[in-house]
Amino acid sequence: MPRIGVYVCHCGLNIAGVVNVEKVIEYAKNLPDVVIVKHYTYMCSEPGQHMIRKDIKSHKLDRIVIATCSPRMHEETFRRAVAGAGLNPYLVEIVNLREHVSWAHGDEPEKATEKAKALVRMGVARAKLLEPLEKHKVSVEKNVLVVGGGIAGMQASLDLANAGFKVYLVEKAPSIGGRMAQLDKTFPTLDCSACILTPKMVDVAEHPNIELLTNSEVTEVKGFVGNYEVSIVKKPRYVDEKKCVGCELCTKVCPVKVPDEFNEGLSQTRAISIYSAYAVPKVAIINPKHCLRLKYNKDVCGKCLEVCEAKAIDFKQQPETVQFKVGAIVLAVGSEVFDAAKMPEFGYGSYKNVVSNIEFERIVNASGPTEGKILCPQNGKSPKTVVFVQCIGSRDKRFHEYCCRVGCMASLKQAILTREKLGKDVNIYICFNDMRAFGKGYDEFYRRARDLDINFVAGLPSDIRSDVNGLLHFDVYDKATNKLLEMRPDLVILANGLVPNSDLGEISALFHVSRSADGFLLEMHPKLRPLESAMAGVFLAGACQGPKDIPDTVAQASGAAAKVVDLLVSGEIELEPLKAVVDKDLCSGCRICEPVCPFAAIEMKSENVEGAEKLSAEVVEVMCQGCGLCVSACPTNAIKMQHYTDQQVMAQVRTAYLESGEKGGS
Amino acid sequence: MKVAVFWGCRILTGQYAYEMSVREAFPKLNAELVDLSETNCCGDPVKSMKDLAANYLAARVLALANKTGLDNLLVPCNRCHFVLSEARNVLKNDKSGERIIRVLKEEGLEYNPDVRIWHVIDFLHDFVGLDKVKKAVQKSLKGLKLATHVGCQIIRYSDLGRVDDAENPRKLDELVGVLGAKTVDYAEKLDCCGANLMYSHPDSALSLAGAKLSVLQSLGVDGLVVSCPDCGLMFDSKQKDAGTTVGAKLDLPVVYYTQLLGLSLGIEQEKLGLHLNQSPVGQLLSKVLA
Amino acid sequence: MSLTDLMSMAKPNIEAREKILLKLGGRELVNCFQCLRCTSGCTALKLLELKPHEIVKLVNLGFVDELASSDIVWTCVTCLKCVQRCPQKASPYHVIMALRNLAVEREAKVPEGYLKAVSQILESGLAEAVQDVVTRKMETFNRESLKLPKVAFSKESFQAAFMKIMGE
Repeated sequence: MPRIGVYVCHCGLNIAGVVNVEKVIEYAKNLPDVVIVKHYTYMCSEPGQHMIRKDIKSHKLDRIVIATCSPRMHEETFRRAVAGAGLNPYLVEIVNLREHVSWAHGDEPEKATEKAKALVRMGVARAKLLEPLEKHKVSVEKNVLVVGGGIAGMQASLDLANAGFKVYLVEKAPSIGGRMAQLDKTFPTLDCSACILTPKMVDVAEHPNIELLTNSEVTEVKGFVGNYEVSIVKKPRYVDEKKCVGCELCTKVCPVKVPDEFNEGLSQTRAISIYSAYAVPKVAIINPKHCLRLKYNKDVCGKCLEVCEAKAIDFKQQPETVQFKVGAIVLAVGSEVFDAAKMPEFGYGSYKNVVSNIEFERIVNASGPTEGKILCPQNGKSPKTVVFVQCIGSRDKRFHEYCCRVGCMASLKQAILTREKLGKDVNIYICFNDMRAFGKGYDEFYRRARDLDINFVAGLPSDIRSDVNGLLHFDVYDKATNKLLEMRPDLVILANGLVPNSDLGEISALFHVSRSADGFLLEMHPKLRPLESAMAGVFLAGACQGPKDIPDTVAQASGAAAKVVDLLVSGEIELEPLKAVVDKDLCSGCRICEPVCPFAAIEMKSENVEGAEKLSAEVVEVMCQGCGLCVSACPTNAIKMQHYTDQQVMAQVRTAYLESGEKGGS
Repeated sequence: MKVAVFWGCRILTGQYAYEMSVREAFPKLNAELVDLSETNCCGDPVKSMKDLAANYLAARVLALANKTGLDNLLVPCNRCHFVLSEARNVLKNDKSGERIIRVLKEEGLEYNPDVRIWHVIDFLHDFVGLDKVKKAVQKSLKGLKLATHVGCQIIRYSDLGRVDDAENPRKLDELVGVLGAKTVDYAEKLDCCGANLMYSHPDSALSLAGAKLSVLQSLGVDGLVVSCPDCGLMFDSKQKDAGTTVGAKLDLPVVYYTQLLGLSLGIEQEKLGLHLNQSPVGQLLSKVLA
Repeated sequence: MSLTDLMSMAKPNIEAREKILLKLGGRELVNCFQCLRCTSGCTALKLLELKPHEIVKLVNLGFVDELASSDIVWTCVTCLKCVQRCPQKASPYHVIMALRNLAVEREAKVPEGYLKAVSQILESGLAEAVQDVVTRKMETFNRESLKLPKVAFSKESFQAAFMKIMGE
């Protein structure tokens, strides 16, 4: 005979303000197998927990029902509390009198009280049937896969490597550094981006615990938290990384010009080249789409072969697949920049003097296409009037509804750099909707821009036009002065927003990580768990989770690394027992459950039973997420969901309408 | 192939050249036009007065189109095309649609939302097809340098599903292109002719038309191609008044696309109503006939 | 009342605001965040000082009455640029048309051109009267002389239905 203790929480006035707690208590006293009923203002507090622990011992309780707030709040707390009194933590049943009663039916206190009674009745019926369960431990690999070699990936890798973990850092591009390597100066300090980044890049390359795989991509992810098996393809550079010395003689002789990706297509590089001035590793790479030899598969050209003294060029190089076992994965794949050609009214793509913010970043950078001189792309002249237009593709129901978070600060920075490079005789305007300078030192930066006579026009233009000679002009209404202004800029910089990578769909599928409505990777909880994905063992860092600036990216990356350490440092992890379990005797081996499982957690095992081969399903405990699909799919009821067995659930259903006598449904 | 046609008001009461050129040119492209048994205003001016009545008028047009038993309705006027498209949307989603459908039933008319609404531009470009139009050309208009004005209400707003792209409409240019002529791009291409302001602010309407005409004239083109009777009214019929309003001497030939089409299909000028154009189309025609 | 316009001493008319929102069939107008793209590109701004962003904001604040009785709502050219380019789909054009409908309901000032159009529709089914055209060579033509078919119109049944709907 079970001995059930029922505890009703007032939750301050949250529950007691609507539900008549006295009546619920009186009612609970008469429920079958209930030995004791108590109440308290805050059951989750120390005195409340102490009350439960004391009663378990003194009244020999073996099932506890707590009528309180949502289990998502304090189920863990109460489980720990009863474990402290020697009772199995899974013998606790939480009845939700807050989110399901007082908060939902605040205007009908009498009916709410009746519902509270019904829920407690159901909770008691279930509690009777609860079984003790044990958490199992499984050992984990103390290696980590970091996907993406931008500042987020590099920071996470360094933190993990310093903590003693082996890190595999995979980067799609031929060099690490990511977006930050393309920047000139960074806001709000105007630090030189390369100066603060390149030391980290070298650290990453030289760290004994980091294995760097550039020009590589993850192709397969198998396994489960603590025990992932990842496959990575190292795409061929056609240059031997171990032999190339980075002298760049090959680039000088290559006859094929290709748009320079690092310079956003504003300049040209060659079919064989080094990715950028600060590439790590500093190894050449041949572009197979443009190299004459690789494109036509003929023994032509070969000029690079002639000059390479290190004999590093290898046209026969093949993609190489490697596999690693890792305990956790950090996704730091970054973001892309909005393609303003999607808004033809602004002339991007048609008018050369309308450039994107990332293109302007390269223009202003000393290692860029104009060696840092601000020149109009159309005629190579220095501009006399420069205009920035904000919110391109962002805060826009037609494209991306979110605010890109960095557009305002980036334009302020670029405007200040323009003033510094071109002097005070240049007119600089920023056409904006809102000016968002929210971070540490950010609003001071905004004031710095105003101090430099950068003019702010409170309004966005509808379109940008070009006359027959290529001179740009547009109208913009300034709501501050109520004037319609005609602007004739020499150079327009569009503040394009940050958008999810075009291949994020593949990343999402590969790592089983969902995406939020805005297209970025979905975090477990936007406020309380921003670094984890819903997939256990897969963490998020940087712009792939949402557009953000460098300070937030670095903070998030270090945070993700800390979460990984947290997960793996003990060498083992505990698994919640809320899993499906197959009763082999009832399993007919029909295999209906196998494809139904969205987590590939069911394996068919064959064994020899009385001379015949018997196939039966087995749930891989570590991968099972307890969703219950297999339980309902099984035609012989051979699969049981621990802690949510059919009997337990049906007991609740049967007792739900006991008193009212209604059949239920609508 | 048969297609029903709804002319609206402007064409039937004054912009005869558009009607004539469509009636002449379309059969040559295998499109037989079937007039509605009767007609009424699409409801455009009534939209500013009483939405319900405007939607009723538009629904009545679609019901009349349904009466012909044909699946496709040609609507050569930009504004009618917009009004009918918006009304169809409203009737799909709004309760007021039930009332309108009932009133139409009482008149013996059956509303059918599935009639496909076409403008001259997308009918020729997409339904008939550019290559068919090209094949039918007998006289090439090579040597002509023209500007196109596609108007506002058939390219905006995109969410309604319009005839061409709102920011970069190319269909009319391509239709001119298959006739052999070249078109030019210009910054003011998407600017409005101002026709709608004739109801309340005629001077401003003419000012808008005059401003655009002045710009077009300075491009040095042989003419302007339009495909909406309101735009035709402003740029052609009222060119003189527009010029007076903006203080410019305007003499830019303005033709309907279907008039050009008719010429290249070998149809006589008079049948295309080219004698009715108020703008100096003679200049343009002499280049064509040369 | 929580808000007063100190220049005109007008107070927001919440009921009228709700009525406009109902006419619009959607609440996007409240999403307007005054980016000014509509006004920057408004065809009627330079000549007639129409500021679509201001109209949307006034309606959102409840200052509907001054707009319904104003001339400004009749200056829109209906070019639809504001609908196309608004990043919040607040569509000032639709707000203006709703205000026009309200003005007509309240029998406020309506440009004569529109009133003429309606009476013409009643008369002939079309918003314009049939006209002769005079060519550059000073010849006069009409539908008949141009061999264009007669305009078919069933006056009685149409008139009855149209008047009924207009009156509802």
